Amino acid sequence: MSRRGPLITLASVVVLAAIFLWANTVAGKSATGTVAAGAAATGTASPAQTAKAPLSALYAGRSSGNEVAVAVAINGRKAAANLTPGQGGVIQLQGSVTGDTVTLTGGNGAALSGSVSGVAMFGTVTLGGGQQSFPFSAEQTVVEAIYTGRSSGNEVALAIATEGRKAVAYVCNGQTIEAWLQGSVNGNQVTLAGKNGASLTGSLSGLALFGTVTPAAGLNFPFSAELSPRPAGVYQARITVNGLATRIGWTVLPDGTQLGVAVAGQARHPAPPLNLGTNSFTLDGGSFTAAPVAGQDTVVSP
Amino acid sequence: MTTEQTAVPLARDQYAKPLVVALGSGCAVAVALGVYGRLHHPTHYALDVAGFSSPLYAKAWLTTAAVVFAVVQLGTGYRITRSAAPAWMAAVHRWSGRIAILLTVPVIVHCLYALGFGTYSARVLAHSVLGCIFYGAFVAKMLSLLQRDKMPKWVLPVLGGVVFVSLIALWATSALWLFATKGVHS
Repeated sequence: MSRRGPLITLASVVVLAAIFLWANTVAGKSATGTVAAGAAATGTASPAQTAKAPLSALYAGRSSGNEVAVAVAINGRKAAANLTPGQGGVIQLQGSVTGDTVTLTGGNGAALSGSVSGVAMFGTVTLGGGQQSFPFSAEQTVVEAIYTGRSSGNEVALAIATEGRKAVAYVCNGQTIEAWLQGSVNGNQVTLAGKNGASLTGSLSGLALFGTVTPAAGLNFPFSAELSPRPAGVYQARITVNGLATRIGWTVLPDGTQLGVAVAGQARHPAPPLNLGTNSFTLDGGSFTAAPVAGQDTVVSP
Repeated sequence: MTTEQTAVPLARDQYAKPLVVALGSGCAVAVALGVYGRLHHPTHYALDVAGFSSPLYAKAWLTTAAVVFAVVQLGTGYRITRSAAPAWMAAVHRWSGRIAILLTVPVIVHCLYALGFGTYSARVLAHSVLGCIFYGAFVAKMLSLLQRDKMPKWVLPVLGGVVFVSLIALWATSALWLFATKGVHS
């Protein structure tokens, strides 16, 4: 009899663990169904709630005492957030969406839990090794976002500006390869096209955008980009130099790194450095101004 | 293999096979848990146990309860490995052990499923490693019990000691840390 005891103990542990794991998996798959995993367990998924987080949205806001800025991106069941405290760098969080509840965690005990209510999100952020908690509120913003990144082999850098469902992008290597792209955002799919077979397709995942960019027919580069604060973005100048219509594009990364190409007729040259404070630059002794490009702008002539 | 060797086995070789099976299984479980925790993409959420302010507190109190039963384990285990322990003490040892280990099951499922094997701080790394060791040692001890007569005398106390010490350390790196940093409440 006692010989079977240890086996029964082992088996009961395995069975109980399997039940919990199964219940979690079921709860994860359908965030709606009520799951009874033993008498003591209930779902955090709040199945009765009718409000659901939208499929894809950005929320921006602050904690009630203005200690920390909060930006949350939702994409399907995935969510990501950037917390920007008054001092110190940006804290990045990753997590998931269950029903209308958003739960995110990051390094060093940072966390965010919130619930979506219409176009607002309310909840609590935790900072500083789990020591400080602040209530916050954030509002769904018109999705005007800048994504910047590089191709996996560092062949090109790119910046994508989205505004609502429209998007523009500029991709270049700072020397001779460059392309202007224009397109749309549908759900988490980003599709842009340009001249000479240029195209960009990508999918949004949390704060990141992954895909393939084709600056010219035959050149395909996988890339990753992420949501980037200013001065990151797409900048453009259309000027006349020595009687030649010249178009200059810049991809500016969040750290201020810029790659640009000046195109005059068939000639392509590295773009002059852009002063990111004033958006001005000098070329051939003349002083000019560039403009940041928004997602609604037209950059590819029809 | 010669006939001489099978005919005249060394006395200590009787121990070898059951012990290797038990310890090997324990090691396999520990490694498997660690690998699962590392490979499984953390969901960052899991089912909650009702009645607590957060999953973290539910886990902390479950672990604390397990530690209470583990202390009972230590006391009764100490007595029954020596002779002349009353019969009820073995039953108390068995059942306190079962309750303790079952109390930890919801905790480890949440840990592995929602969080995974973490390495981002010394506390978290230690906790992750200890969790794997705890369940590995537990499996080794259960399998050793099956072949109790064929084991060296030191095996059960040592494995029991590892289970106990790792559980206390698990509790110290999670529940105690939580109570110390966020206060003792439900």
